[in-house]
Amino acid sequence: MSPFHLTLRTIHRRKSWVICAFVVGILPFALPLLSAASEDPGLYKPALAQATWAMAWVSAITWGFFSAAQTGEKLSQSGLGEFFRAAGIRPARQLSATWLACLTFTAPLGLLAAIVSILGASPALANERSAWFVTNLQYALLFALVIAPLLAIAIASASRFGTVAGFLGSAGITLYGLYGVGYLKLLGSVEDHPFLSSIIGISPHYHLADPTARLRYKMGAIDPAGYPLLVAYFLGIALLLFAISRALFNTRTTA
Amino acid sequence: MRSYSPALELSEDLAIGYSQPLARASEKIHLSAGTHFLLGRNGRGKTTLLRTIAESVRPLSGRIQTQGSLRFLPENLRFDDSLTSEDILNSLIPRDRRSAATDLGQRSELDLQKPYGRLSTGNRRKLHLLVAEFSIPADHPALLLLDEPFSGLDAHARAAFESHWHNESPAILRLVSCHPDYDAMPMASALIIRDQNLCHTTNDSQTWSELKFLLN
Repeated sequence: MSPFHLTLRTIHRRKSWVICAFVVGILPFALPLLSAASEDPGLYKPALAQATWAMAWVSAITWGFFSAAQTGEKLSQSGLGEFFRAAGIRPARQLSATWLACLTFTAPLGLLAAIVSILGASPALANERSAWFVTNLQYALLFALVIAPLLAIAIASASRFGTVAGFLGSAGITLYGLYGVGYLKLLGSVEDHPFLSSIIGISPHYHLADPTARLRYKMGAIDPAGYPLLVAYFLGIALLLFAISRALFNTRTTA
Repeated sequence: MRSYSPALELSEDLAIGYSQPLARASEKIHLSAGTHFLLGRNGRGKTTLLRTIAESVRPLSGRIQTQGSLRFLPENLRFDDSLTSEDILNSLIPRDRRSAATDLGQRSELDLQKPYGRLSTGNRRKLHLLVAEFSIPADHPALLLLDEPFSGLDAHARAAFESHWHNESPAILRLVSCHPDYDAMPMASALIIRDQNLCHTTNDSQTWSELKFLLN
């Protein structure tokens, strides 16, 4: 008896993952045709790489977090959490099992984006091509490291506050980390304010896991010396978010 | 097969409820393998007692001791609408018990291919019962807490499940909360909640027709 298999089957049966696979795996080949790349063929490959990674993030933030939040709310509100708990499956195990099932569908979106980008948008020059390959795989791992703990946040907060709260909470944190921190930094460079600096300091810098600028301008792979630090940074955030998720997670209708 | 039998023991100072006590045990209650009914009028604490035994709710005082694998079937249990009954059974029932679960499902006329969202209330209840009954490994001592398992069930399906209970391994203790709909229903062992008191009555010949007058 496993919440993992039940959640895995549920997400599989809902079939919305097919849309995400299409959006990340197929749609990016068509999207550049709607941009300036339709007039300048030289822009097609960078546009394809940008589109596929953008679609991976959009799919994970919208579908991934919503599915996770829906799973979390159903677990606590449908009596399933109580059923599993009585059967000896403690809340931490229920959370990790449902999280793993959601991750099984969401993390591959980053890998799919990397594959599309490698197969469809690799530069012609051999040395650029190998850097392109490494860069995409580096960002596929960073994508998973960012998304994974936020899925746990979505499940846990939805189990306590409902699907909408779980979804908006995790999507909000991600969007803030991807774009909001950048705006704050811009503001901080104009006006030097210690409070603003500390807010920026403690914010999750998810924009560091977004490869679009690096791929668009062919900046090469992340420096091998700096990459482990980046991984450690996201692992640290992940540990914090997992601890918060465990504290929030609720398996019963009434506490 | 485990050598011990399932058991449930409620201490004499047990009190259940949320902020205020709903019911207190008036004596030490010990239940062993077999079917025991939990009777009481609406709002008297039947579900609360089951949730307390299942450790979803803490007792206000006293202790509950259980022996055997526990399964609690909440009345509000609900699966995702897109899953078929077969998906649910395959996810929650050990491989070696699936064919027995499928057989009983078919005997009680449950369509295993139909999505859960399109099952009637009675058919959902059959599926929930199958999950509770067969999610325990075969011949494993178990304690099943069933909250209103018969509501919405037709007489044919109910008979199929009652027959399964009679023929099933003796190593199962069932505590069944219900509002019976026929007077002749035998209830050799019943936990009754009346006047906020929880007491245990046993008599091989007692039926719902006599016990219902004890409820208030």
